[in-house]
Formats: sequence, C-alpha cells, structure tokens
Amino acid sequence: MMSISQILINSLLLGSQLGLLALGLTMTYSILGFANFAHGELAVVGAYLTFFLCVSFKLNFFTSTIIAVVLSGAVAVLCDRLIFKKLREAPVLALIIASLGLSLLLRYIISAIWGPDPLSFSLGLAIPYRVMGAFITSTQIVILGVALATMVFFHILLHKTKMGKAMRALADDRALAQDRGIAVEKTIVWVWFICGCFAGLAGVLMAWETALWPELGFNIIIPVFCAAILGGVGNVYGAVIGAFLIGFVENVGLALDWSKVIGLLGISTWDAPLFIPTEYKTAISFLILVFVLIFLPTGIMGSEKGH
Amino acid sequence: MEFYDIFVYFATMIGIYSILSLSLNLQYGFGGLVNFGLVAFFATGAYTGALLAVNDVPFLLGIVAAGMVSALLGFIVALPTSKLSVSYWAICTLGIGEVVRLFLLNEEWLTKGSFGIAGIPRPWEDFWGDTYYSFFYLFFVWFFVGLAYLLIWRLSNSPFGRILKAVREEDDLALAMGKPVFIAKLKTMALGASMAGIAGALYAYYITYISPSDFTPMITFLVWSMVIIGGKGNILGSIAGATIIVVFYNSTRYLKDFLDFPAETLASLRMVAIGLLIILTVLYKPDGILKEKEKRYPLD
Repeated sequence: MMSISQILINSLLLGSQLGLLALGLTMTYSILGFANFAHGELAVVGAYLTFFLCVSFKLNFFTSTIIAVVLSGAVAVLCDRLIFKKLREAPVLALIIASLGLSLLLRYIISAIWGPDPLSFSLGLAIPYRVMGAFITSTQIVILGVALATMVFFHILLHKTKMGKAMRALADDRALAQDRGIAVEKTIVWVWFICGCFAGLAGVLMAWETALWPELGFNIIIPVFCAAILGGVGNVYGAVIGAFLIGFVENVGLALDWSKVIGLLGISTWDAPLFIPTEYKTAISFLILVFVLIFLPTGIMGSEKGH
Repeated sequence: MEFYDIFVYFATMIGIYSILSLSLNLQYGFGGLVNFGLVAFFATGAYTGALLAVNDVPFLLGIVAAGMVSALLGFIVALPTSKLSVSYWAICTLGIGEVVRLFLLNEEWLTKGSFGIAGIPRPWEDFWGDTYYSFFYLFFVWFFVGLAYLLIWRLSNSPFGRILKAVREEDDLALAMGKPVFIAKLKTMALGASMAGIAGALYAYYITYISPSDFTPMITFLVWSMVIIGGKGNILGSIAGATIIVVFYNSTRYLKDFLDFPAETLASLRMVAIGLLIILTVLYKPDGILKEKEKRYPLD
C-alpha cells in the first residue's frame, strides 16, 4: 500500500502537468469553439525541440527549454494562421477534423525526424528526497515549482494586462467582444501563442520526468480533455482544479484496495484484495469523463459553453 | 508473390476498408456523429469472430455475432453520450477506442493479451482449395461491401435517412420538429458499429492472426481520411476513398526499394502525407472528391 503522502505527491505532479495542457486547451476551446485534438502534439513539439537544442546544439537545458517553449508557441500560431484561421466560419466538424489531421501531421513529422523510439534528455540522475515518508526527486520538485509558477503567471496575465482582459472577454462572448472594439484576430494569435507555450512547457516537463516519444502527446490527450471538461470548458481555474482532481483520482484509484471499498459500501463481501491494474490508468480518467458528462455537463466550476 | 496475388490482396483489403469507411460514412457523413473510436468496433468484431471461429462455431454465425456484439457496444456508447455536442462525442469515442484496446491487451483470459489470437481458421478453405481460395474470399468480402452499400443507399432515401441528415445539419431544429433525434443517433451508432464489427470478423478470417497491435487508433484515422477524401455523405465516395488510401498506404511500402530511407522513416512520412491530405481536403475541397448528391424536393 502506497503511503498517503506519496499518493499526494504523485497526484500533484500529474495534476500540474495536465493543468498546463488543460489551461491552453480550455482557452482555445472556448474562444474558437472546437476541441483541438492536436493540442497534445504541441507538447511533443516542445519536448523534441528542447531535445534538439540540448543534445544536438549542445545548449544548456535551461536555455534550450526557453527557446523551445517560445518556438512551440510560434508553431501553434503558425498552425492557426495556415489552417484554423481559414475555418473560422466553418462548422465545428470541419475544425475538429482539421485538428485531427494536424495531430497526425505533427506527430509523424517528429517521428520521421527523430524516430518512433523513446529518447531521454539524459541530464544525470535526480537526487531523491524523503518527505513525510514519501519520495520526491529534485527533478520533480523543479517540475512542480515551474508548473505552479506558470499557473500563477497566467492568472496575473489574465487579470492585470489588457491582453488578458481581452482574452477573457473573448472567451465569454466573441461577438460582444468584437462589438466592444476588441481586436479579435490579434487576441486569438496571442491565445494560440500562450496555449502553444504552455503545452510546449508541459511537454518538456513530462519528458524530463520520464522520456520523450512521439506518442507522448496523444497518450495524454484524454486526461487533458477530462480536466478541461471537468473544470467547465472555458474556465481556466476550473481546468487547473480539474487537472489536479484527475491526477488525484487516478492515483487514488490505482492505490486503493477496492475490496475494502466494496465491503464498506455493503454491496458484497470480497475476500481477496482487489486493485485496478496500472494498465487501466487511462480508463480511470475516461470513466471520470463519462461520469462528468452525464451528471455535470457544465463541469464542477460551471461553464456556459460546450455540451 | 505472383502479380495477381498482390492484386487480390489489395482488392480484398480495399473491400474490408470499404465496409469500415461505409460504416463511418453512415455515422459521420449522414448522421454527423464524429466517431473517433471506430477501431473499437472493428476490434470487437474481429475478436468476437476470431474467438468463435477458434472454438468451431460456424463462420456465418461468427460474422453475425461479430456484428451484433459490436452493435451492442455502439449502442452502449451512444446511450449516455447521445445528447452531447460534436466535440464531446469526439472525445468520448476516442476514449472508447482506448478502453477497448486496453481491455484486449490486459484481459488475457479472453484475448490472450499482446500475444493475440493465432491460427484462426479460414471459412470453407478445404472446399475451395489453395488455388481458388483467395478469389473466393475476395468475392465473399465484396458481397458484404455490396450489402453495406445497398443498406446505406436504401436508408439514405428513406424517411429515417432524412431524419439523419436533419440531425447532421441542425439537430436542435430536427428535435423542435418533433423528430426522434436521440433514437436516430442510437440506431445510427449501433448500425454503423455492426458494419465495422462485420468488417473486423472478415479481417480476422482473412489474416488468420490478430493482436491488439492491429487495432491502434491509426485504423480510425485511416478510415477517417478515406471518408473525408472520398466525400462525406456520398456512398460511392467511401469506396473510392478506401481504394485511394489502401493503395497509397500499401504501395508506399515498396518505395523502400527505390529510396534510400529507413523503413521507419518511410512509415512516418506516409502518415505525414495522410495527415496533410486530411487538412488540405478540409481546407480546399470540403466535399471530398465525390460530392454528396443533393436531393431536391419540389415545393408544391
């Protein structure tokens, strides 16, 4: 049985990575009105660009990350200019399918250049620490710190800058925002840029903790969607809370001995310990998603859009 | 391999993929249901058919069972999600595809896990013998393509087909007109899923070995490219799309003899091309190569 503090640390780590992705996803979803299936690939782009700068260009990890994050923002803007801008008036179906095509395109360009096998930043061994009976490595501490700092930065950006206010207005009501003189296209460019940067950063953090491979983004897209929907589409705070909840439920779901739960609920008695196999991790977040869609279609924090 | 062997193989695979693309065309092209988990129904059918055949159940029964089990899965998937918007549908079905793959990979008592099911018998192989078998199977597959074609053609010209198109264009309006929108979605999902299931069983009997690695999300995306490129809502377009993509996908394998690329790179570039084709079609030819036939109704 995993200790409670270990479950908490694992949940926080997963939640912070999912949160960075869910933030951008929920913004593009609410402003442009479609679920962007290529969002995970932006994370992969960030991770591989960092790898490229770090390993092939011999830049240090910190500098490579910053350049790669900005570049993934640029890639997101480029995708918008070349594809999604032309489909502003098109039906949602067309946008979703275009994003599906884009997701294939980006994933396999990366796979063609760097190959399908996992790579690693190989930055040396992380130093493990013991916190209240749980292990956390130095890498994981940095990941948590960076992710949380980015979220705070995004909060400040949304509330203290003119661009942030424009974004919120746009997410709320695009037509109204336009009538009130907000430069819609310019704001959309910034939304894509920020969404791409955050996704790229999340990709670097995920790849740093484990490894990077072309399917990294596609594998995480379902939990990210879950987080965004759980938080209420368009609600950035909801997305972050949703991400941490997903992280928590996934880890608790895997660590829990369900025979005890069944016993406690009095449904039936189960003698042998009953665990959800780790392989079904994705299925847990999917179950949460289905549950949310049926019972709370506007998410825990409320949303006027989506369903 | 003789030349006609390659030809027959291509034609058989085009047939199997045609059934899949017809199934998706029914769901997406006519009903506007974004099914990103098509492979789940294909896989369910393939495993149902294979497991029954390995246990000496007659083939036709296996094919029917494959269709029914997949239809049941489609129905179950559509039940909670039928009232959701397009984007949520897409996400949910993508999740189903993943859950089914995880199930196949991990429930070894039933599916033998990643080893897969080997030695699936081929229908009536002894009767036809080695020489004629591949031809027989080609016709067998295309018989089902014909069935699917007729079914969709019949449906699209029926009152149910009109409800379906109304659901696709504006489901709120169809609902306001008193049309049974949710039931139409459930039926379409189940019917399309059963067709994908039958395609799965035909695939399993043809290849004689299936494993979870045959049923990656890639299949879903390939079939999507077929429907998008062929033209949504056009029945013949689905078959044209399947032909184009199967020929493109398989013939680029032989490119490695001419190009000095590693096979892995070539495989990735092939998917880059398919992704690009999807985007370009959506941007510049949203109706695909064969446009949906518009039916005019006189106003009197």
